[in-house]
Amino acid sequence: MKPIILQGHERSLTQIVFNAEGDLLFSASKDSVVNAWYTSNGERLGTFGGIKGDGGHNGTVWTVAVDSQSRFLVTGAADNTMKLWDISTGKCLRTWEFLTAVKRVAWNEDDDTILSITEQRQGQPSVIRIFPINREDPTSQTDTPLTEMRLTGSKATVALFAPVSDYVITGHESGKVAKYDVKTGEEVNFVDDAHRGEITDIQLSPDGTYFITSSKDKTARLFDSETLEEMKVYTTETPLNSACIAPLRPYIILGGGQDAMSVTTTSSRAGKFESRFWHKLFEEEVGRVKGHFGPINTLAVHPQGRAYASGAEDGFVRVHWFDESYFRSRPFGDLEPEVEV
Amino acid sequence: MAAARPLKTDWAADDVDADELPAPSETTDADGITTIITWRLDEQDRKVKVTRRVRRRIQTQIVSHSVAERKHWAKFGLDKGKPSGPDRKTTIVGENLHFRIAPVSKAEPEAADPIAAKPLAGKAVVCRLCQGAHFTAKCPFKEQLAVVDSLNADGMDDGQEDDPSAGGLAPRGGTSTGGKYVPPGQRAGGGAGESMFRNRDDLPTLRITSLSVDADEDDVRDLFAKFGRIGRVSVVRDRETRESKGLAFVSFEEKKAAELAIQKMNGHGYDSLILNVAWSQPRGDRP
Repeated sequence: MKPIILQGHERSLTQIVFNAEGDLLFSASKDSVVNAWYTSNGERLGTFGGIKGDGGHNGTVWTVAVDSQSRFLVTGAADNTMKLWDISTGKCLRTWEFLTAVKRVAWNEDDDTILSITEQRQGQPSVIRIFPINREDPTSQTDTPLTEMRLTGSKATVALFAPVSDYVITGHESGKVAKYDVKTGEEVNFVDDAHRGEITDIQLSPDGTYFITSSKDKTARLFDSETLEEMKVYTTETPLNSACIAPLRPYIILGGGQDAMSVTTTSSRAGKFESRFWHKLFEEEVGRVKGHFGPINTLAVHPQGRAYASGAEDGFVRVHWFDESYFRSRPFGDLEPEVEV
Repeated sequence: MAAARPLKTDWAADDVDADELPAPSETTDADGITTIITWRLDEQDRKVKVTRRVRRRIQTQIVSHSVAERKHWAKFGLDKGKPSGPDRKTTIVGENLHFRIAPVSKAEPEAADPIAAKPLAGKAVVCRLCQGAHFTAKCPFKEQLAVVDSLNADGMDDGQEDDPSAGGLAPRGGTSTGGKYVPPGQRAGGGAGESMFRNRDDLPTLRITSLSVDADEDDVRDLFAKFGRIGRVSVVRDRETRESKGLAFVSFEEKKAAELAIQKMNGHGYDSLILNVAWSQPRGDRP
């Protein structure tokens, strides 16, 4: 397995995402630029922002999301704005301004609605807003959200639309996982002690019926999207920053490492800056991939399960295309069904 | 492979030649190796012939229409106007990683810090505070005695703690780093400096000759994996045909494993040939 190393950022990565076909990868970083890459050869398609006066972000880009047709990109940044971009040209189509930083954005399944989470700061509460997206005339978008959810308790750090586009599932700083109705904005279900630390990432399974959360409490957990019932727990020895569910094979990929604060005082060998593969059902670790020399901040898996990418505090993105042996592997022997590739 | 032609002495011929570089040519021989000859001018306006011999392999991949269409998009942003194909500045291919899915045994001890774990042979560690046999930073009476210590610090004889090795090791214990920057070489768990690409010369390497030409990297890895953890395997191949030359290098992570492998595998029969396994000589030491 030869990783493709993408060095298009000057600062640490915050989020990376594949598009629906897995031929493009988008990376957001603290250097205020979002890059688009061809995953097959690592060629950079272009940058969103980065040139003065072209309408790019002016601060850490915290989050990026792509629609299922690979037409539009949404980004949220620390300059208190959320932007909509045309992917084929790299042009900024629309900017929304808020009172605080945008920490997370996501598309719904129908590509006609997005959500944004704004940071809790300067007396402002953490707010989740749902905006409709006009796909016919992308430059004219409304400023009024469909729904606005002002959170009173712990602030939300991550969110996604699930199940389907009717609900939003959120992960909170306190470790709480909650589910909101998109139309009414009401909390319909919650688990207060889903995690014992801040939830750092949430990613959906290929069919959308369950999702994974990673947390600073060193665990990643699988939950049912419908009932929020905990299904599996993966316990590691480092705080986790990201987790994803690999399609095609029964594996979970986890990434983390100790806090960015203490990176300069530990070696990469002791820092555990590896992507870890866990067996989804048996909750056992089945492999590790080395390479980064900073904690892994974000992981993304190819939607068809052919590759995965990791972005780290060291400013690099590494794209790994799986070998033949990965698809044939049966780490627990006869307990697992024979695989046909 | 560049052959420079001597500078033209005739001033009249110079001008004409400079404009008329021979057209680049491409020929493919029976082995499927393409020879590309191109001409260019160097800084002193001399003609330089560049010959490249490459083997082209076409990889066909079936993708959906939307993916194929996206492949032809023009670049934008900072990459606007750049030619297609990966740019060396932003994209590099890393070293081959050996990644195999297999249960990770829990019994395997955590990669112990080799420096901290090693008992300080022959070095008497004396606590500055209580004179016990431990580092000052780990003193159980730190809180109580630190106050007293700071009061009469000036009057104390610093003979013992001036030992440079003991002083340098103390922060490696990990308790007293206190968020300060520690150079990579002195960090807990770290030996020498670290880089993204592992140094090839620091691992004990074996040279395997009279290897079957059908054996590839994975076969060699399987053959030697039972002796210990393997860092790198490379099979020497013909530059053009990519056929094995029957020579391979295996780098172990531990010297002991490499020694055992020589003992067991030298003279071992493999695929109708008898393996010859010996230490690999570094490039500089070879006769």
